[in-house]
Amino acid sequence: MTNVVEPMAEVTATERRSEVLVELRGLAVEYGFGDRRVRAVDGIDLAIHAGEVVGLAGESGCGKSTVANAVMQILRPPAHLTRGSILFRGDDLTLKKREELRKYRWRNVSMVFQSAMNSLNPVMRVGDQFVDMMQAHQHVSKKAALARAAELLDVVGIDKRRVRAFPHELSGGMRQRVIIALALALSPELLIMDEPTTALDVIVQREILQQVQDLQRDLHFAVLFITHDLSLLLEFADRIAIMYAGEIVESAPSARLHENPQHPYTRGLMESFPPISGPLQRLAGIPGAPPDLADPPSGCLFHPRCPLCLPEEAAMYARQTTERPRLREVERDHFVACHRVEGVA
Amino acid sequence: MSQIQPATLDIVDDGAFAGQIVGLPRGGGKRRRLAVPGWLRLLASTPKGRVGLTIVLGMVALGLAAPLLVRSSAGTDFSLLDARQGPSWHHLFGTTDQGSDVFAQVVWGARRSLALGAAAGAIATVLATMLGVFAAYVGGVVDDILNLITNVFFVIPPIPLLIAVTAFLHTRGMLTMTLVIATTLWAFEARILRGQALTLRNRDFVLAAKVAGESTRRIVFGEILPNMISRIAAAFVLVFYIAILVDAGLEFLGLGDMTKASWGVALYWATVNSAMLQGEWWAFVFPGLAIGITVLGLTLILAGMDEISNPRLRAMRAPSRLARKVRARAQESA
Amino acid sequence: MTETSLDVRHLTKHFPADSARLGRRSYVHAVDDVSFTLRRGRITALVGESGSGKSTVARVLARLYEPTKASVLFEGRDVSSERSRSALRRYRSQVQMIFQDPFGSLNPVKTVRHHIERPLLIHGIVARDELEERVHDLLTTVGLVPPEHVAAKYPHELSGGQRQRVAIARTLAVEPVVLLADEPTSMLDVSIRIGILNLMLKLKEERRIAFLYVTHDLACARYVADEILVMYAGQIVEQGPIEAVLADPLHPYTRLLLSAVPDSGLGESKRIEVRKGLASAAVDPPDGCRFVTRCPLAIDVCSHTTPPLVEARSEHAARCHVTAPSQSHAEKEAVR
Repeated sequence: MTNVVEPMAEVTATERRSEVLVELRGLAVEYGFGDRRVRAVDGIDLAIHAGEVVGLAGESGCGKSTVANAVMQILRPPAHLTRGSILFRGDDLTLKKREELRKYRWRNVSMVFQSAMNSLNPVMRVGDQFVDMMQAHQHVSKKAALARAAELLDVVGIDKRRVRAFPHELSGGMRQRVIIALALALSPELLIMDEPTTALDVIVQREILQQVQDLQRDLHFAVLFITHDLSLLLEFADRIAIMYAGEIVESAPSARLHENPQHPYTRGLMESFPPISGPLQRLAGIPGAPPDLADPPSGCLFHPRCPLCLPEEAAMYARQTTERPRLREVERDHFVACHRVEGVA
Repeated sequence: MSQIQPATLDIVDDGAFAGQIVGLPRGGGKRRRLAVPGWLRLLASTPKGRVGLTIVLGMVALGLAAPLLVRSSAGTDFSLLDARQGPSWHHLFGTTDQGSDVFAQVVWGARRSLALGAAAGAIATVLATMLGVFAAYVGGVVDDILNLITNVFFVIPPIPLLIAVTAFLHTRGMLTMTLVIATTLWAFEARILRGQALTLRNRDFVLAAKVAGESTRRIVFGEILPNMISRIAAAFVLVFYIAILVDAGLEFLGLGDMTKASWGVALYWATVNSAMLQGEWWAFVFPGLAIGITVLGLTLILAGMDEISNPRLRAMRAPSRLARKVRARAQESA
Repeated sequence: MTETSLDVRHLTKHFPADSARLGRRSYVHAVDDVSFTLRRGRITALVGESGSGKSTVARVLARLYEPTKASVLFEGRDVSSERSRSALRRYRSQVQMIFQDPFGSLNPVKTVRHHIERPLLIHGIVARDELEERVHDLLTTVGLVPPEHVAAKYPHELSGGQRQRVAIARTLAVEPVVLLADEPTSMLDVSIRIGILNLMLKLKEERRIAFLYVTHDLACARYVADEILVMYAGQIVEQGPIEAVLADPLHPYTRLLLSAVPDSGLGESKRIEVRKGLASAAVDPPDGCRFVTRCPLAIDVCSHTTPPLVEARSEHAARCHVTAPSQSHAEKEAVR
């Protein structure tokens, strides 16, 4: 396959580890002002290395989409950054001007939104939408852009002739692939996918993720894969960060997370997926509901639902209800924010 | 309205329960001095709604107070002695060439315009709701027939029709005006309400009511209509202010009852008397302002209603100092 | 009391398609010749992808659509021919439905109490003075406590899982025998789903309700169901006890579906080979197996003869010429 999308230079494993592409430091985002403000994301530290697939897991309202929007620098009022920085290859994005950000978006980092398949312009042919996008970023002739669009469709597994099709003529899965092709058109270094397959059937979902995985292996871009479906991340991600109520509560390489989940929320999440094979037993799920971020619980945000938060253990209970746990390294590369988990010194 | 997530208190667990204890509200309920109806409070919660409501209520108050403020009942006392006077303490808004008190015109005109607007609004809204929602829910042939009727009325331009009708009819009273305006404006709203009813008809909660065994009548009145209240209210306000403008416009053209006091008639006389050329600005400015401000108030109410039903339109700005003080005091006493 | 609650035979639903050719109407075959039985105290999963017709089956059984053809027996009595209002009401007092969207299935301007009271009043389940108590009982059954407090709330004040529990409480008001659950957990957060599924299990066991659990999620189906029906393009392609079907799937579509489900038990990700094709109902489908364009096992006969549903193992049937050949076909082959 000719390289339609320019692959990144082949990086060795060690280089990959040290080359940080995007880094979030102490990121905090709020919605609204004054009494009614809601802290959607509170003090996030996250690093995405070149070529890495990082999974961000969490349920609705945990702030994962906000994180994605922050990285893409598309936060809109009433959302605003209150603290922290977003570094792309060391450059702080929050300090950049609008013109620079415009260039940054789509070229360095691109995004596949939730139900993006519905965001294709229904009255434009698919190929023209590629042309539109490419011409916004570079000087290309329409002919050249269309040719490239056809090749990109081929890369994601769609017949080249579909360049002339209208979005409604394609199935949901195909449209999502078009969106992915659009996102990869300018050879970004990071692809953010926010619930890319939620609205799709399980077979189509697997097809698409397989495709992305193949593309990722060939072209070496990094992926930030945001979803509530932890089981997908356990299969496709190198590293997983679990978000709850605006904070990262645990992060580890996916194999490690699967073997040894430490945070009670992570454990609870894992217990919420009925197994398709193996022994069948009653699962408990996680009692209660995520907190109201306008009026969050004191101390550890998870404590009202935590099976390890027991009033009988007075000293620990006092800590859990007054002090926010910090992310601590409990073993190599495995971070947990929980009072009951001892960190490595 | 904010999404209030319940706090979980205790965790009762047999797997099926999964801790669904719903939190109790803090503060144990609000204390209210006045029993203000919910919709009023809602409207007053946005700045646009507040301003609009103030204006409209102010006008209503003015109109209601007319008999108290102005001596004559019809408001068109002709007193040639006092003609052509500018605003003074005796005649607040001055007098016209014919000697009418402009203030009386404005105040009595308010009664007329507001009453007419409200009546036309009510009639048009009721018609539009009945026909639109009925057509949407029943569907089929009935829907097709009603659609045809609606479209016929929809296409008729109101003002030429009104001109033709008023030219033919011998009575030009308020009732006639109200009815004619209502019949030309209902069709526009009927289409919109039908559209909304159509989307509601297929919503899951309507299907769930059907599966639960609810009768059609109860579904329309109990499930669908209550969810259309905001749009129906908007329809009412819309027709209200269009009616005022149309009515004033017709009178301005000389098609109204020239003996009664109203804003449009006042403008008519002002034109006939060439008030502008003669420098008698008070003759047209005050009635004109009355129309303009009332319509502005109603439009602001509409905008306020829009903001309430579509939270994204509300600009997130820091609350005013007054609002913060009020809130702080409320929290102290809670 | 008879074990069989709802006996569905040859359920067919065709919708007129927009593209009508001159003279002849085109139809979308949303559901074609579906037959199954729902029994008290058992959960039957109806699994398929979007467009497979599974929701349509549920809606026809809820009498929201009229079937093109069907014979439905409720506890032995033929209800498909009953059209009168009283018969419909009787049916609705026994067969209820839970909808997919917890945010859409409750009327936003009515309280929880209203939602649960209505069925009680419509069907005269309890006297007026016992109404409040019954509402509280039902809320407690579904795990919403304290019931007095929840009853006064509006839907927007509850979370997704709580709304779904209210919806379930509403269906329980009439004391139904059959509950049709149309993807009740798809729109809920993962950690909340288990709670709802556990509630379904509890209701199945304690109240002996017959459930039809429509879902696209095989793992959830496995968690709660006793039997499974797999639908593809409007037809049932496989049915049987769930463990048997999942352990030994006969139909190639079931195998494909199974291989696509994320299985975190495995070390690495699975790969599937997928051919082009749609799982949704076709307009005027021709004879022949509807899965043929995607099937790795397809043989000649698959393209022109619709395979019948054949019981290849004990209680385990599939619609496939290759893995579940019909007797007559096998005989023909033997003769040749």
